[in-house]
Amino acid sequence: MIENELRPAPTQTIHSTQGKTTSKGNIFSDYTAPLFIAWQLNAACNLECLHCCEEAGHSMPDELNHDEIMDFCRQIVQLQIPYVAISGGEPLMHPDFFTISEFLRRHKVTLKVETNGSFIDRSVAKRFAQLGFRSVQVSVDGVTPETFEKLRIKGDWQKAIDACKYLVEAGVKTEIVFVPTKFNCHETGELIDMAYRLGIYGFYTGKTMRIGRAAQNWDILCPSDAEYEQLFKVLSEKQNQYDGKMKIYYYPYDVIEELKYRLEYPSASLLVIPNGKVKLIGPLPFICGDLRKHRLAEVWERYQKSWQLPQVHTFTQKVINDPHLLAESNRWQELSIK
Amino acid sequence: MMQFTEHIQVRPEKFGAVVFETLSEKVFVTNKTGAEILCLLEQHKIPEEIIAQLARDYGCSPDLIKNDVQEFIADLTNHALLRSDSPAKAGTKSEKKDDK
Repeated sequence: MIENELRPAPTQTIHSTQGKTTSKGNIFSDYTAPLFIAWQLNAACNLECLHCCEEAGHSMPDELNHDEIMDFCRQIVQLQIPYVAISGGEPLMHPDFFTISEFLRRHKVTLKVETNGSFIDRSVAKRFAQLGFRSVQVSVDGVTPETFEKLRIKGDWQKAIDACKYLVEAGVKTEIVFVPTKFNCHETGELIDMAYRLGIYGFYTGKTMRIGRAAQNWDILCPSDAEYEQLFKVLSEKQNQYDGKMKIYYYPYDVIEELKYRLEYPSASLLVIPNGKVKLIGPLPFICGDLRKHRLAEVWERYQKSWQLPQVHTFTQKVINDPHLLAESNRWQELSIK
Repeated sequence: MMQFTEHIQVRPEKFGAVVFETLSEKVFVTNKTGAEILCLLEQHKIPEEIIAQLARDYGCSPDLIKNDVQEFIADLTNHALLRSDSPAKAGTKSEKKDDK
């Protein structure tokens, strides 16, 4: 997700004459701390989506408590982590969600939240606006309740759409994330048109990740190659149609291609799960740190060391050769790091 | 006055600094000299003040570094990382006057 795009290396004159160091930042280990934290705040969710990466539903018995959460927030600020995305479960079900958000925003941390929209009414939308969230990302997987609710068991399409309306009304940058499956792919173009009419800032999609519950339901979910080809054709057309009016982002690579890339170029980001354990990367089962045992700075060091471990490389190669192993992603294995 | 755009986060690093445009999720990096310029921009210094400050720090003529500083600021502006509230051209005397 995050790439070095440009290096405005200034003043050849200055650093050639003054012997200053030249720019770095090409690899994750150049950074003193992560640039981004994906924080799965809770596992509780009011829905039972067929594709849920986290297999969310009920709370974990050992989730971080209020004091541990606030300690983690203070460490985020101390290490100057610029950007945090909070997800779940359904993060708005967590009693500390707004306490956390207020704390992080007070310290100028950029915040995004990923939600199913069930708990966003006008007053909640206004709160997001007041807090200056970067964006609120709502999951909308179809243009009709039938399609949406086939994927999002116990979901309510109208609530998700209303959430988008309230957020847009309140002036919050609102994004829609769309998970393509066999049974909603054909609605992509129509959904993008609807998103534009709603005043959505950005539309996000990409190949469905074969992890968590999606891996278990892969045969009924995964679009065919022809369906994906058609999806990306539509996305490309819509990107042209809405150029300059609405952002349309799509990531054309699947999780295996992502793993191949990350094995060589790990990102400068951490994935924290509700019990404070830190995953190396979503699709792999490896835990490289634990916020109950390690300070965040230490977790960052452990993360960097973890990517060097033969165990990680061997298992990742196995996954690349046999994607069925992605089903193991939530059966965590703690890495031994010296 | 020049200021960073809304979603910019700047963090010092061992190698210099990282500029994170968190809305587009693009990361830019620069060396220690670039980091010094960013730091001065955060203090709302105008280009001429930055040039003067760096010339003092490095013990060189402002003319020697003027173009590099202006190019760096123009790069930041072109990537929508920095904006000028003044309509004047970056780094010119008129901008300094306007900003004051």
